[in-house]
Amino acid sequence: MEFDFLALWDNRALLAEGFLTTIVISFFAIPVSIVMAGGIVFMRISKNKVARVIAASYVEIIRNVPFLIQIFMVFYALPFFGVRLSGLPIGIICLSIYGSAYFVEIFRGGIEAVPRGQFDASKALGLGYFFYMRKVIFPQLVGYIIPPGSNIAITMVKESSLLSMITIAELTYMAHDVNGRTFSPVEVFTTIAVLYWVISTALMTLSEWVQKKMQVEETLNVQLIR
Amino acid sequence: MDFDFLLIISKMGPMLKATITTIGVALVACCLGMLLGTVLLIFKNSKYRVIRIFVKVYSSAIRGTPALVQILVFYYVLPPVIGLDIGPVTAGIMAIGFNSGAYVAEILRGGLSRISEGQWEAANALGMKKSAVWIKVILPQIYYSVIPLLVNEFTMVIKITPLLSTITVLELTRASQHLIVSTYRPVEVLTMAAILYFCICFTLSQFGERLQRRSELYRL
Repeated sequence: MEFDFLALWDNRALLAEGFLTTIVISFFAIPVSIVMAGGIVFMRISKNKVARVIAASYVEIIRNVPFLIQIFMVFYALPFFGVRLSGLPIGIICLSIYGSAYFVEIFRGGIEAVPRGQFDASKALGLGYFFYMRKVIFPQLVGYIIPPGSNIAITMVKESSLLSMITIAELTYMAHDVNGRTFSPVEVFTTIAVLYWVISTALMTLSEWVQKKMQVEETLNVQLIR
Repeated sequence: MDFDFLLIISKMGPMLKATITTIGVALVACCLGMLLGTVLLIFKNSKYRVIRIFVKVYSSAIRGTPALVQILVFYYVLPPVIGLDIGPVTAGIMAIGFNSGAYVAEILRGGLSRISEGQWEAANALGMKKSAVWIKVILPQIYYSVIPLLVNEFTMVIKITPLLSTITVLELTRASQHLIVSTYRPVEVLTMAAILYFCICFTLSQFGERLQRRSELYRL
């Protein structure tokens, strides 16, 4: 059998467009999900039982229902409630909701890893809740959050491939499109696999670089404090 | 607008049947994944560099590409390349199994790191062969210590199975798509599907967490 990568080259504009859409979706969805998680984690650890239960069930429902079903629900159910959005915003919303549930768990794990004494000390000093969360607790979390957080970010890029099922023109959708035009599934699907691999490896390298850099700064800080 | 859940519940027979398919496919894929993960773990600790590099490339390729793309590759690319006509179910199970294998290897590696170097030396001193050390000493301990994580991995596998609906495997998601087409009640059908998936995954993940807590209680 022979492979015809030339047919693929003729359709490179389509694949490039899909590649770009995938990156745009992830570029918006990852920061949005981190911000959402930052808000929800306050509910998750709050003293108010109702808020805690709401946040916990949000996290558990998102984490225990497959992403594909979530996408379908948003895509099919919203028009019934009179909300009509085009594909791209729906994709970004779905992906952000999905990612936020995982980020909440990471943030919560980080906050619980901070010794209780620090909370007590902050309270004893008369610092306000949001003030000491922002100035005392969160800065310590950064190093703790980055390794699992970057994993979630990479997972989100990979999960964005499912958005092809609701006709969002990202990389996987474009691959189906090109496959329909040229009928060269072997070449098309291996090519997009390589493209996805490039994105996630780039993100992984970035995260390792940041981790290395962070550690340098941390040790510097320690020396300064001493 | 009005929802008619009773109508959908009365038509849920095919969906429940498909749920069994989902669980069956996930079980077979998970067994394949465990087998593969174990092999990868042993390869990773091989003394030959080529084999170690192969494991690295494999896990990077699996963890760097989406599961959906892997399933499409297994379904569309594998048959023409190996010249064997495998059906969608086989292709799907293989794709998920190979995907899960890379993650299981990672889980087992975590278990291996808890086993002290002294056990290898003791086994060597007793004159055991390397294969015997793996099978009789190391692997049982690793498996025992990572049971909770393997339960979680199984829920992960169940959450990948909806992707098989793209390659025409009749599992829960595809069955609910059929029901949507025939009744045109997407909200109700998808809610029921979500509840079914939630029941399976939530029960399993709670069970996994319970095991985890218990194993932490009895450790040391």
